[in-house]
Amino acid sequence: METRSLAARVEVRGLRVRYARARAHAIDGLSFEVRPGEVLLVLGPSGSGKSTLGLCLAGLIPQSVPARMEGTVLLDGVDAGTLSIGERTARIGMVFQDPEAQFCMLSVEDEVAFGLENMAVPRDQMDGRIERALEAVGLGHRQRERVDRLSGGQKQRLALACALARDPDVLFLDEPTANLDPAARFEFVQLLRELRQTRPDLSVIIVEHVLDDLIDLVDRVLVLTAEGTLLAVGAPRAVLDRRTQELDALGIWLPQVTALAHKLRLAGLRVPDLPLSVSEAAAAFGPLLKVGCILPDGAVPVAPDQPAALDVRNLSARYEHGPEVLHDVGLRVPRGAFCALVGPNAAGKTTLATYLVGIRAPEPGRVHLFDDDITTLSTADLTARVGYVFQNPEHQFVEQRVEDELAYSLRLRDRAPDEIAQIVDGLLRSFGLDACRACSPFGLSQGQKRRLSVATMLAVGQRALVLDEPTFGQDRHTAHALMERLLALQREGVTLLTITHDMQMVADYAESAIVLVGGRVRFAGSAAALFAQHALLEEAALRPPPLHALARLLGVRTADGALPLRMRDWYPCFGVGPGGVVEGGA
Amino acid sequence: MKGLLSYYESDSWLHRRNPVLKLLSLGLVVLAATLAYDPWTPLALLLLVVAAELLLGRVPLRAYAGFVLLLTLVGAIGFVSANAFFYTPAEGQPVTVLWRIGSARVTAEGLRMGLTLTLRMLAISMCSVVLVTTTDPTDLVLSLIQQARFPYRLGYGVLVAYRFVPLWQSELETIRAAHRIRGVGENKSLRGRWEQLRRYALPLLASAIRKAERVSVAMDSKAFGALPQRTYYRRLQVGLADWSMLLATGVITVLVLLGLAHFGLLAGFGAVPPA
Repeated sequence: METRSLAARVEVRGLRVRYARARAHAIDGLSFEVRPGEVLLVLGPSGSGKSTLGLCLAGLIPQSVPARMEGTVLLDGVDAGTLSIGERTARIGMVFQDPEAQFCMLSVEDEVAFGLENMAVPRDQMDGRIERALEAVGLGHRQRERVDRLSGGQKQRLALACALARDPDVLFLDEPTANLDPAARFEFVQLLRELRQTRPDLSVIIVEHVLDDLIDLVDRVLVLTAEGTLLAVGAPRAVLDRRTQELDALGIWLPQVTALAHKLRLAGLRVPDLPLSVSEAAAAFGPLLKVGCILPDGAVPVAPDQPAALDVRNLSARYEHGPEVLHDVGLRVPRGAFCALVGPNAAGKTTLATYLVGIRAPEPGRVHLFDDDITTLSTADLTARVGYVFQNPEHQFVEQRVEDELAYSLRLRDRAPDEIAQIVDGLLRSFGLDACRACSPFGLSQGQKRRLSVATMLAVGQRALVLDEPTFGQDRHTAHALMERLLALQREGVTLLTITHDMQMVADYAESAIVLVGGRVRFAGSAAALFAQHALLEEAALRPPPLHALARLLGVRTADGALPLRMRDWYPCFGVGPGGVVEGGA
Repeated sequence: MKGLLSYYESDSWLHRRNPVLKLLSLGLVVLAATLAYDPWTPLALLLLVVAAELLLGRVPLRAYAGFVLLLTLVGAIGFVSANAFFYTPAEGQPVTVLWRIGSARVTAEGLRMGLTLTLRMLAISMCSVVLVTTTDPTDLVLSLIQQARFPYRLGYGVLVAYRFVPLWQSELETIRAAHRIRGVGENKSLRGRWEQLRRYALPLLASAIRKAERVSVAMDSKAFGALPQRTYYRRLQVGLADWSMLLATGVITVLVLLGLAHFGLLAGFGAVPPA
């Protein structure tokens, strides 16, 4: 039969994959095709086989990763099983999620060259190919730079350059921006946008969670279920429109404006075309807006008369032989506040946090914790007042069972055994870790690890928590659950200071924000007031959430002049009540 | 990475030499320093190697002073004092006692032996200083692969490991801070140290294994080792200057040995030690 589809660049038929020693299939009966120049977005909950799919296409399963594979992969109509691994990897360029773990050379040019050397590209062709690839990702001037001196975003662009230099037909991007801050993520997506212009024949398969910036670039969407089966494949608008309920159930996050449109539809409003981008949303929502709508003041009142939990005065710091990291920093976090600490990379956010929790010792009189100078507190006293949640939960684990982990600091303090048991039980329950109390902390899922690391920091009754990017690298579902948990803590009176890059999180949860740029405090005030300062947002490389842009386009404001950033803030504008129902009948 | 000793970026004559030939040249010097029993040979070789590092390598003293000072201290405390006190001469050889402190004695022969050992160690260490400071680690591995037929899979493995060293250093520091926050004290007892090692090792190992797996998949995705042959972006050559370096090192070393022998200062190499 020679009637193969000439149009398909990649064709997958009946793909099933089962890892060695796994009970269930990672991918179970998957068929789809990708045409030349097409951008295919792959969506699915964690564990749905998205990464596995990439490994299959590149032939790394079963060659490098032990797994059983059934079904066929056709590359330009040729059974990929008949191609050598060299030929296959030459056609499919891969970019992985972890910027720290996909390079093996020390310098930028050597890393790009590595992929060419393996293909036995003649030496005289290398210079041009390396130069062009680096030029294409905006790293042309960094050719001789050491890889470890690049930022996370630059590393991911380098990974893309490595793939492009090998001149593939297909790019498989496996959550390339999951570990990047929003500004770097936006840059990466812009790069893909340029790539569509400069290499129109290149097919791109991309796995992503955050769709807002990306969705208008996508030709088709493929959705996998948690069991690794195909849920839907088709044009983005069609899939997002018809499958909204299922997508929601799978924990897949729609673009913000799409989610808002969906909510309005549920409330009974007519939104004929589901908007995917901010500009589409502005067009779709414009006619629905109540004329001259001014929203009631949506901001959570900040309680400035509360005494300070954290109080910093004139704190400056420099690393040994290094430049100044913090310059004359002063800030005040009232008791019971939920405060976000934001700013570009290397602004000194983490350094500042380490002074607040006693990892670094400030000069006397600079940092006060619940009215006491931090330098006068004993270590036991200090750790009983404030907890610090590190970015990587694993770093904090010291025991081999979850319940021992929670009991650890209590035992150190010689608390009575039945009191310890009571506190541990309470924490296990309220953080949803009851089922795995005897597990190893290292064997937990990402979300569970994060919850455990927060819980351990509350065991001795700490009244303040400093968190370093608690939602970093997590999918939106686990991130959301964690933030709800933190909000509950705040209601119990715990003071929270959270370092974050996620501006939607700031809009949804934080009542106040502090902006640090170049080691200086550039802003301290309510989160709503921060989002009104457009120049500062730009300067601090903070990308405001999509609803921010939508509010500006539509000219919607709250009574006090702030922009509505949470979805529920918008309801009154469309005559939708807090319950999500149109008031006074549609 | 801010270690005690690392590559010093520059473009000197020594920097431009082929790494494997440099390794061989330095090997000659190390051999000579090892076979000599007198303090003069390692001293002369040490001075020559330092001169080469300064003049041909253009590496300033401060780039390796810390490393050399530390070794000198170890040598002075370890070798010199140990030998000064505890030197036992061969059967029938007399010793010259310089001081007596109680039952202990300091001998001239012991001092000389300690000094010799210290100088030998310094001369050999200085050779490694020259190699490390003037050789790009990537070039060293590539030269071993291209000139010395070192297996390339192993070579690239070494490079990956080298790349990860600073990452693990900073990760260890983070883990220590994180554990301090948990209230973990630094226990100095043997059991406490063992516990501590276990606590640090687990998160480090977990992350190391995860990263190693990812890197290896990433390398495979770029067809590492998939083809029977591969080309090289950096082709390391062996030129006339490289062979000259090896030859000159050999000649100078022999001349130094002959000169010292002429003045009766050389011991070892079958030469008779001075009475």
